[in-house]
Amino acid sequence: MRRYIGKRLIISVGTLFVVILLLFTLLQFMPGSPFNDEKLTKEQRATIYEKYGLDQPIIVQFYQYVLHMAQGDFGVSYTISKNTPISQLLQSRLPISLRIGGQAVLLGALIGLILGIIAAIWHGTIWDTISTIISVIGVSVPSYVFALALAYVFGYQLSWFPLLYSADLPFKSSVLPSIALCMFTIASIARFTRSEMLEVLSSDYILLAESKGVYGPKLILRHVLRNALIPIVTVLAPLIVGLMTGSLVVEKIFSIPGIGSLLVTAIQSNDYNVIIALSFIYSAMYIGIMLVVDILYGVIDPRIRLSKEGPHD
Amino acid sequence: MTNDLATVEFLPGDFELKGAETTKLDMNFASQRFWKDAYLRFRKNKGAVFSLITILLIILLAVFGPIVSHYTYQQQNIKETNMAPRVPGLEALGIFNGDETLKTSTGSKLKNAYIVNKETGEKSDTYYWFGSDALGRDLWTRTWTGTRVSLYIAFVAVLIDMLIGMSYGLISGYFGGRVDSVLQRFAEIINSIPTLVIVTLLMLVLKPGLMTITLALMLTGWIGMSRIARAQMLKLKEQEFVLASHTLGASNIRVIFSEILPNIISQLITNTMFSIPSAIFTEAFLSFVGLGIPEPMCSLGSLISYAFKNFTTHPYQIVPPVIVLALLMLCFNMLADGLRDAFDPKMKEM
Amino acid sequence: MQDRELILSIRDLDISFQTTAGSVHAIRGVDLDLYRGETVAIVGESGSGKSVSMKAVMGILDKNSTINSGRILFTYQEHGAAKTVDILQLDRKTIRHTINGRHIAMVFQDPMTSLDPTMTVGKQIMEGMVLHDRLGKQEAWKRAVSLLTMVGISDPEKRMKNYPHQLSGGMRQRVVIAIALACDPEVLICDEPTTALDVTIQAKILELIKRIQNEMKLSVIYITHDLGVVAKVADYVNVMYAGNIVERGQIDEVFYDPRHPYTWGLLSAMPDLDTNDERLYAIPGSPPNLMHEKKGDAFAPRNIYALNIDDRLMPPMFKITETHAAATWLLHENAPAVQMPEELRARIERMKEEAAK
Repeated sequence: MRRYIGKRLIISVGTLFVVILLLFTLLQFMPGSPFNDEKLTKEQRATIYEKYGLDQPIIVQFYQYVLHMAQGDFGVSYTISKNTPISQLLQSRLPISLRIGGQAVLLGALIGLILGIIAAIWHGTIWDTISTIISVIGVSVPSYVFALALAYVFGYQLSWFPLLYSADLPFKSSVLPSIALCMFTIASIARFTRSEMLEVLSSDYILLAESKGVYGPKLILRHVLRNALIPIVTVLAPLIVGLMTGSLVVEKIFSIPGIGSLLVTAIQSNDYNVIIALSFIYSAMYIGIMLVVDILYGVIDPRIRLSKEGPHD
Repeated sequence: MTNDLATVEFLPGDFELKGAETTKLDMNFASQRFWKDAYLRFRKNKGAVFSLITILLIILLAVFGPIVSHYTYQQQNIKETNMAPRVPGLEALGIFNGDETLKTSTGSKLKNAYIVNKETGEKSDTYYWFGSDALGRDLWTRTWTGTRVSLYIAFVAVLIDMLIGMSYGLISGYFGGRVDSVLQRFAEIINSIPTLVIVTLLMLVLKPGLMTITLALMLTGWIGMSRIARAQMLKLKEQEFVLASHTLGASNIRVIFSEILPNIISQLITNTMFSIPSAIFTEAFLSFVGLGIPEPMCSLGSLISYAFKNFTTHPYQIVPPVIVLALLMLCFNMLADGLRDAFDPKMKEM
Repeated sequence: MQDRELILSIRDLDISFQTTAGSVHAIRGVDLDLYRGETVAIVGESGSGKSVSMKAVMGILDKNSTINSGRILFTYQEHGAAKTVDILQLDRKTIRHTINGRHIAMVFQDPMTSLDPTMTVGKQIMEGMVLHDRLGKQEAWKRAVSLLTMVGISDPEKRMKNYPHQLSGGMRQRVVIAIALACDPEVLICDEPTTALDVTIQAKILELIKRIQNEMKLSVIYITHDLGVVAKVADYVNVMYAGNIVERGQIDEVFYDPRHPYTWGLLSAMPDLDTNDERLYAIPGSPPNLMHEKKGDAFAPRNIYALNIDDRLMPPMFKITETHAAATWLLHENAPAVQMPEELRARIERMKEEAAK
């Protein structure tokens, strides 16, 4: 088990390293010098160069770069907010995105699980069909379509919820965006839960449990779900990706000051530093989640957790 | 099964042996060909069939829609900006007659931009079936042109992805060992970087455009297919018919493509169908974010992005591309679902 | 045969399955009796319906099944008095609460997949006890340990905490047996319990079941396609074909005096070391597709001794002795005198000589 974790850890760190390498290489090809402020005098420029080690050989620069990244110093923004340290921009925005994203995941997972369980238990009936339709729609229709629809109906026509995010009503104005974001989660988890449960329900050990006399909720909770949900962590990775991409658009539509809208703005105004910094953050998040997922999977499944002992005779 | 022999009527010759020649052998199961079986199953799935029809309809409209209209996709008419949809024929029913409700600070107001004579209510002789956008361009033409572009990008990207991914996976799985390890590590690293990041960075380096988007989609979409191809290859590699082929002297390449490939076709098709909505979505997403097709050319995503700016004042502008996009994605997903169930109906028997 | 107590009686069982390809008429009229303390074997090819009939007894049929007709009468002791119920009339919940595990238990075929991989062995054994007998955890634990000892597992206390994947196939099957015995049932149904195991382990498991049967006074139904197993364990044999029982009787009667051509085929197809034939015998053709309803005897197409009437009418059970019967028109008084194949007769003679030594 420990070897398993160790191996995953090394691979994750290695991948992150490759990502940084890629980003750094890209940075070298960006047109214009890193600090394209004409107002700088020659001395000021020399000082800045020295500070960021831009006059040193590439390898050293890279080393410095990695160090800076690790410490959270991502350089400064060029165009969005001239010379503001990016870490400062992130400080206010990251928590908002995380919160709305977190709400979406929790809400989505809960509803998704329920829908999936219903579809599996009442397999073949109208409930199964309804649940499947909802799932297919949730997976197919992009989150920004939902966001637009929700914004139009509930924000514009009915005015139940504010159309734009405001810090004064942090919870109320996060409702619509969370709902828009979580549709994909609901759909993915519902489909997955349904198919895993159906597979478990037709397995031999469920038949044996029934022949023992186990029935109803106890059967579902203790035997079916326990087995069906182990692989659910594998759905988490694509889910996170979906949330990442979804958040970009949702944040833009609802004018939420999160890292998603920051990235969009950076792309539209060609602020390389910000783009690269955010790319790193997204990559790190993704790699980190995948690592956690891998470890979690090893812990939950007794077959992997106890694999050191092996079969006895 | 009755034990009451008294009620049974016996015929003469009943108790004669039929003779060994009459014993029939092995004629009990009509052999169903795989494709015919799958086709029948697919047909039963109403959702999938409906989706297929819808997709074909949309493709038809994408091809003929712009031709039918007398506008082009880039033709601007400054005097006719932001006009609501107006369809001849339907307007007699009271809908699509060019009316729009504007919400102002004092309440809502009914306005019709087609009216040239305020007193008589007479309307000009122009029709915009989906309305016009902020630069006076016809939305009907633009929507269908955009659909063309989106579909084109999706198909090309997916096609190349299938080819690359399949070859990659087949080769990796077939040779196994060191080759497999290296190839898989490489794929894993690429997979660990979110598509979003890769595409964004790519867009930084290259100029936004049709080719660039297609390239971006290609770079990330092949991994899924390669996984499936590799899994299938690993499974089939050990089977006897591959061994038989080798024994007969077939070379590696030949084995890969003529023995194993036909067995993967069904998964290939299914995966292709699933990848298309994913590609359409990514393209639309990129356009929405600003990394997409440059004006005046349009795709569904760029149309949505453009119309978003007028979302609160002229909501009708965003409706056609959104509906087409949603329908395409929905239908391709249902189609893919139906195909997968048709080819491999494991759990449908219950 | 006095004092035989009938505890399980199946009459006219008729079951169909709904599949996407059509309706499959899997069980087409089955009668079966089980007396206390005895071992009954059900033999047949795959698809003959052996497992399905027993699943009906346990109430664990698939959801797409329809019971067209029949009764399954089960007699058991409740509060000191004998109670008889028709299992087919009970709803699933009642069957789970009163019958499953408590009075009738089942041992499944594949020990690699029959156990819940996320539950410890001990918990799985204790589950039934806690559920039915309302035992406390301590008591259940002790009883589970003694059960593990009874089925021949060493170091039982340690094993209680193991997960199924940590045990070998033979051990897992013993655990499955222990689970079945947990609540002291009266009837044990074994569905091909040794098919998935090594040959060396097979014998051990069969011995184990026999021993337990004697100790706990169980009545056992064996489902198998292996005539060798039948010879070792059974008192009575039922031969099944295409959803019907075609021959039944005491084991000596069916093995030494088979009357149905299908039984002849089965016995002939068993290769043994003394067979001098140059060719191995196999029953020609394959079992019928039960989606197509056919008139008459289902075995007729593969039966070189078929009569014309076999195409029209299904043969009823003809009585041969008190306990031996076969469903073939060859036993009708008007039928021509047909003898079993020469090779078979020679083999049976050999078997009788061996047994007499």
